[in-house]
Amino acid sequence: MSQSPHLTKLSRRAVLALPVGLAAASGHGAAAEPRRGGTMVMIVHPEPSTLAHYAVTAGNIPPIATQVYEGLCTYDWDLNPQPNLARSWEIAPDGKTITFKLQEGVTFHNGKPFTSADVQYSFMEVLKKYNPIAPVMLTELTSVDTPDPLTAVLHLANPAPYLMKALSGRDLPILCKSVFEGTDVLQNPSANKPIGTGPFKFVSWERGQSVRLDRNEHYWKPGLPYLNRIIARFIPDAGTRSAAMEAGEAHFAAYSAVNYADLARMTSNPILGLTTKGYEMTPAQSVLELNGRHPQLQKKGVRQAIAYAIDRNVILRDVMYGYGQPATGPLSRKFKTAGLYTDDLRRFDVPDRLEIANRLLDEAGAPRGADSMRFGLHLEVNSFGEQWLRQAEYLKQALAPVGIDVTLRSEDTATWLRRVYTNYDYDLNEPFLSQGVDPVYGLNKQFLTSQIRKGVTFVNDMFYSNPEVDRMLDAGMREPDPIKRGDIYKKVQQILAEDCPMVWLIDVQYVSVFNTKLHDHTTGPLGTQQAFERAWMDK
Amino acid sequence: MGAGLARFARNRMALFGAAILLGLLLLVLATPALFPGDPFRLAGPALQPPGGRFLLGTDTLGRDVAAQIAYGARTSLLIGVGATLGAILFGVIVGGLAGYYRGAVEIVLMRVTEFFQTIPAFVLAILIVAILSPSVTSEIIAIAAVSWPGIARLVRGEFAALGGREFILACTGLGASDARIIFRHMLPNCTAPIIAVGSLLIGTAILIEAGLAFLGLGDPNVMSWGLIISAGRAVLRSAWWICTFPGIAILLTVLAINLVGDGLNEALNPRLRER
Repeated sequence: MSQSPHLTKLSRRAVLALPVGLAAASGHGAAAEPRRGGTMVMIVHPEPSTLAHYAVTAGNIPPIATQVYEGLCTYDWDLNPQPNLARSWEIAPDGKTITFKLQEGVTFHNGKPFTSADVQYSFMEVLKKYNPIAPVMLTELTSVDTPDPLTAVLHLANPAPYLMKALSGRDLPILCKSVFEGTDVLQNPSANKPIGTGPFKFVSWERGQSVRLDRNEHYWKPGLPYLNRIIARFIPDAGTRSAAMEAGEAHFAAYSAVNYADLARMTSNPILGLTTKGYEMTPAQSVLELNGRHPQLQKKGVRQAIAYAIDRNVILRDVMYGYGQPATGPLSRKFKTAGLYTDDLRRFDVPDRLEIANRLLDEAGAPRGADSMRFGLHLEVNSFGEQWLRQAEYLKQALAPVGIDVTLRSEDTATWLRRVYTNYDYDLNEPFLSQGVDPVYGLNKQFLTSQIRKGVTFVNDMFYSNPEVDRMLDAGMREPDPIKRGDIYKKVQQILAEDCPMVWLIDVQYVSVFNTKLHDHTTGPLGTQQAFERAWMDK
Repeated sequence: MGAGLARFARNRMALFGAAILLGLLLLVLATPALFPGDPFRLAGPALQPPGGRFLLGTDTLGRDVAAQIAYGARTSLLIGVGATLGAILFGVIVGGLAGYYRGAVEIVLMRVTEFFQTIPAFVLAILIVAILSPSVTSEIIAIAAVSWPGIARLVRGEFAALGGREFILACTGLGASDARIIFRHMLPNCTAPIIAVGSLLIGTAILIEAGLAFLGLGDPNVMSWGLIISAGRAVLRSAWWICTFPGIAILLTVLAINLVGDGLNEALNPRLRER
């Protein structure tokens, strides 16, 4: 019997107090010898609408797709690239050429050998054209040369230091050229019957039920994978998902497929464990966006006052059930490992924050009226779930004491997104924003002047425009030196915190729930968005 | 009417219902004094069980469940009564026109009424609220819009029956205008069944409102019983009190309204009087 460390009998408060203990809950595998065989059932929620992982970015596709598709690299816990389909690589001193040496003897699930032609085709013909992150991540990529079948050379117009963070199977998967060549990429039949080089082969997808993935007998890593089969199950009801984990019917539930509210109960179940590891490359924040065209929100003092008035600890404790951390600024703490995060900026969590907020509002020329309110604002309730209504209810309560009368408006998803991102007919908006593997993804999207794009969701809808920030974000993209790059982003964060175009609320933390029979399920920073090649199960 | 009230007073169950409703009404009137301030206010620590500083405990955000229920009662009654009045107004107009003029008017209006009756009421209410975007007004409109067909059919039936009676024929013969006949003679003669059916409608309206709020289609700025239950659902297994107390409130209120409605029906409906 192995002794996989897992959490038991921890109250919600204890979990709050012990983030480090939680982090240690997994990743360090059991001492026992891995066992071949077994079927692992993982809950994926919600059911993906497609498995065309290379053309659609949605958090629910990679848990399935990355079992099948691999990338050139994987990442260690310090987020450094490690060999995967690429055996080694060399970056030219000017940062404009990256030469990858590829693994030998790798075959796709259809028997075709993997060569540099597949790398070239994947990058130039599929990813650069159709992958939603390509306009940022691959914008500098001009061509891929293939001097021999096991060498691929990426040519860049300018240095792109962030590219080395995006080479995993989750972000830039490698596809089989002969499957796609000469067909319409988006209509290719392999979209929902993926063919890759990964440890598991796609077998079937029963809509509304499950996806079945079987062990790849010819996997190029010797002896791997251990599991015979992975079943990805789709269970729409949150209560049923929790029950499936508690009954041992499912062995793994990632990406908070189990409601935060149920996690406290899970910790006291002896067959279950919890981990917050495996999300190191999945930073996200919940924020409050402020419409920069509103006559009051145009004033920097008013925006800062709103940031001061909100107690992030209440949201963390009562809305997020203690999972996550109060956001300090524009970047999630998860960028600390890469040396890009700073908390040396205007801090809104000071003890006298309410006095400061009131003073700023007085100075901004927004006096209190007869009902002690200064002015009113509408808050658009995020329609993606219950917890956002709770957060909105709290925000309304938090802004009343400083004299801002908030009215909540909850609409269906389509109406909400159209109101905010197309009509700009909003004052406050509470979205949840993914920040990608590098600040070029999150910060550029949110704060560049060029990202004020009518009709595009989750971009700069605050009308934030600061030429200095534009210039620095541009420089940050191209700076190959990690130290200098870190300095640029620290400065950007300081300016943004001062300008306060949005209020940063919570650094989101997802949680995985696992059955203690399952071992080595979380072996890297991508967690469930990388292959379960080393996962194994007790009998 | 006086005799009807006396008959009502002899009905013990109806009196029991009336007592509950009276209590509810007193609670609504006393709410501002009992629970001053905003029911959304974070009054204390989250998830406090009942019996401590907070009589019925606190919810996931630390809001006082008792205060929420008291303010929710106001919302439920407001929407229940408002939607019912709207349904009666519209139902009486449609049913009255159809029953009085008969012929083509009746055919058109009653086909429209039947069309509305064939659509599942709750689904239609969801649709209307989603289109109008959730607020107290849109909830009242939606619930009224799904509740009027019953009233319309009732009124059409009553008007059709009254139309052939001698006193109406006499009025017509004396040259009374349509409006005078409808408002002075026909309508007063069918108030009793309208009151009886309308009182039952209030209960249905409260249930629909709770359902809408539970699904997140209530006014997010106004406390309601459905909203409390939907907020407490996530922690149902660890904090039973958040869902249980508003659930009991809905149960008691709808039960009371049904008892009173049945009592009124028996007291005022001439056909049941002989029983």
